Amino acid sequence: MPDSIVIIDQDRDLAKALKVYLERQKFDVHTAAFSRGAMEILAPATPSIILADPDIVSPDEITAIREILRSSPKTRLIIYALPESLEKNMEIFQDRASDYIRKPVSGLELDIALKKARKWLALEEKLEYNAEKITTLENDQALFQQLFNEVPCYITVQDKNFRITATNRLFKRDFGHEIGEFCYQIYKHRTSPCTHCPVSATFSDGRRHQTEEVVTSKSGEQYHVMTWTAPIRNQDGEITQVMEMATNITQIRQLQDHLTSLGLMLGSMSHGIKGMLTALDGGIYLLETGITRKDPDRTRRAFDQVRAMVNRIRKMVLDILYFTKSRKLEYLEIDVTELARSIAEIIEPSASLHGIEFDVSLPPAPITIEVDPVWFRSALVNFLENAVDACMSDTERDDHRIQFRIFLKDTGQVCFEVTDNGMGMDQETREKMFTLFFSSKGSKGTGLGLFVSNHVIHQHGGGIVVESEVKTGSRFEISIPRTRSGNHLINN
Amino acid sequence: MNKKILIIEDDPAVADYLTTLFQDNGYVTFSAKSAHEGIELARKEHPDLITLDLELPDEWGPRFYRKLSADKDLKNIPVIVISGLSGIKYAVSKAVASISKPFDRDELLKLVREHLA
Repeated sequence: MPDSIVIIDQDRDLAKALKVYLERQKFDVHTAAFSRGAMEILAPATPSIILADPDIVSPDEITAIREILRSSPKTRLIIYALPESLEKNMEIFQDRASDYIRKPVSGLELDIALKKARKWLALEEKLEYNAEKITTLENDQALFQQLFNEVPCYITVQDKNFRITATNRLFKRDFGHEIGEFCYQIYKHRTSPCTHCPVSATFSDGRRHQTEEVVTSKSGEQYHVMTWTAPIRNQDGEITQVMEMATNITQIRQLQDHLTSLGLMLGSMSHGIKGMLTALDGGIYLLETGITRKDPDRTRRAFDQVRAMVNRIRKMVLDILYFTKSRKLEYLEIDVTELARSIAEIIEPSASLHGIEFDVSLPPAPITIEVDPVWFRSALVNFLENAVDACMSDTERDDHRIQFRIFLKDTGQVCFEVTDNGMGMDQETREKMFTLFFSSKGSKGTGLGLFVSNHVIHQHGGGIVVESEVKTGSRFEISIPRTRSGNHLINN
Repeated sequence: MNKKILIIEDDPAVADYLTTLFQDNGYVTFSAKSAHEGIELARKEHPDLITLDLELPDEWGPRFYRKLSADKDLKNIPVIVISGLSGIKYAVSKAVASISKPFDRDELLKLVREHLA
């Protein structure tokens, strides 16, 4: 579109001449005149250029020109005037006019002034376009940043050394503002990269990789996360960074754990249940035939059998209920010495069979604790059996030793400490050890034992502290309140 | 002469039930708690029928059955599998019958009668 010019001049002949001259140069030219105290402009509201010979004795005309300039700030003003009124014009319009031309107007001078004005207009247009583009970009970037931050998963961007270069809000909330730290350090508290790293896999093949991990937050909580990685490439297509997105699936996992263990338990129990029902049938048969034959011995046998079976079934149902919401522990006050003795009876034979020394140390004065003996005992046995396994799998030394120490803590809790000098665990194993189906024992482990044991200890209102070092050994400190009333889980 | 049934079952309550049920119906019974004991008793007593539980403390029922079949004096004794395991029909395919726990006693007695006829 051609630039539009408005010529303002009282001298109509000159205005007409200029119009012809400028139209030849492909301008869209309009003329205006000042008459009857108002500007008559046959022109668009916002001309690109105003070419004017302002009548300096008519303040109305000056005001009108200023008015146009105010409403259309991009409009270029070129003043032409007789030498004697040119200075006055300069005082009035100052730098708001882009050029001042002396009358009589020379074609060359006018051409240069117009060229400058056009150049300025073109630049102005470009500037406007760029400013608009920058605003759009800024908006887009803000949107991306917002999305990046608000995505409900942990996002980290990592370099080739697994250094974190960017994180989103959720990550910062749960893992801290750890720019520059290593991924394995923050997520897993490790000192070296993990063995199966999806980020490293993406760096080497450029594809997306997915893994499931157990990570530890800054507050020490463990989360199950599903992670996906994606490459970030530079303009040459080289992978410079990898983005890792980790979705917290802890709740799903917990539910799954629960259902799986329930399923496992029911599966392993169904055979037993069938046997019990058969035996119960047997008792009922004895009862029926005992009564019809008036055989008191048989009836008594029947009665004993039915009672025994009902007890067995009741116990099994309770075991199943342990895994459901309505479960309750069967608390009994037991003597710690007695408990330790019965546990030692199980552990001692397998320890001595493998040449492992087994020491039990009891509190000086006899103490009692209130626990569910069946579950609590099997949990402790499980920790000790693991200690035996850890010693058996260790090739570092021959003089293996397991210490089982029971003592009363200052807090009033009873502490069961299991220390071994077996193979020990790395940080990752330590963090994953209580997870269902996690096992460090290969085909020998089911991944069930510590999961259930941990569950049982927590249900007793207790806690487990684990210390371990590879090739040095492990120490488990299992502390529980002495009485059931000390178990806040039940009180609440 | 009364027919002899060998009961191989490790759960004493179930073994007692089977023993009483069979005796009440006029059979002579012997009961073994393990596969090993079962083979010994079978050789000694030559029962007319064997009931076999699949999960035994020392050995799986199917292996007991293979041992039994390998003994030419014993291989023709009909075996009825009584077990709580699912899919038992395939465990001992040559057994004359398989019933699962808890069983219907009339059904069991009917099977026993059929195979002792």
